[in-house]
Amino acid sequence: MKYILLMSSARTGVESYHAWSKQDIEAHMAALQSIHKDLTASGEFVATQGLTGPSEAKVVRGEKNGVPVTDGIFPESKEFLLGYWIVDVANAGRAYAIAGRISAAPGPGGKPTNMPIEVRQFASHESNSE
Amino acid sequence: MKYILMMTGKKSDFEGYASWSKADLQANVSFMRAFSKELKDSGVFVSTEGLGWPSEAKLVRAGKNGEPITDGVFPESKEFLAGYWIIDVESPDQAYEVAARASQAPGPGGKPANMPIEVRPVLSGHADLGL
Repeated sequence: MKYILLMSSARTGVESYHAWSKQDIEAHMAALQSIHKDLTASGEFVATQGLTGPSEAKVVRGEKNGVPVTDGIFPESKEFLLGYWIVDVANAGRAYAIAGRISAAPGPGGKPTNMPIEVRQFASHESNSE
Repeated sequence: MKYILMMTGKKSDFEGYASWSKADLQANVSFMRAFSKELKDSGVFVSTEGLGWPSEAKLVRAGKNGEPITDGVFPESKEFLAGYWIIDVESPDQAYEVAARASQAPGPGGKPANMPIEVRPVLSGHADLGL
């Protein structure tokens, strides 16, 4: 069963991340790399990706003739996707355990960020990755 | 340059989708299949996925000993990811054009749903964050 683990935050969360010390960022990255290594070793890893910051995000709609209309103004409360992991696991409990590990990755001062990770199963009938 | 195109909706949007007629749903799915094929044929396709519904979504945090604490209660205003496309294109404008096409997928009565599609550049590495 494939699950996607989504890490999101409002703009303030993204801005505060940029104020982390170099040491805190390195410890955080080391924890994420260790999770990545474990998932690869267990054969559960499918994909992971980080996204760029909210300042580069646009919302697009198609006008009548399919002309893209872009908008970059988001409410402060908007949750932005920071990145995701896709895992292929035996059951939902395993997906939650992995999400728990990600949530426990260290933040400022080495304390766990305790960030909420949204866990969603793939709609298998629409699965279309290559 | 890789971009992710995200289609999101609130719980009420998902509930609305569940009440679409069979003909409307079929038209929407046909559009999505043709759209995927077109992206593959033009060489910009990387991946696409649809996600399970909000009722199956959980929010997970680590407890004191690192054990997962799950929660399934979300505010009504929460935007859920319905699905996404990742494409590899030459410019942001090309990504916006593809997103505009996705936005025009037919909705009830065959009219374009005109759904907003969030377009974000994908990081090639942490160097992109200036770290």
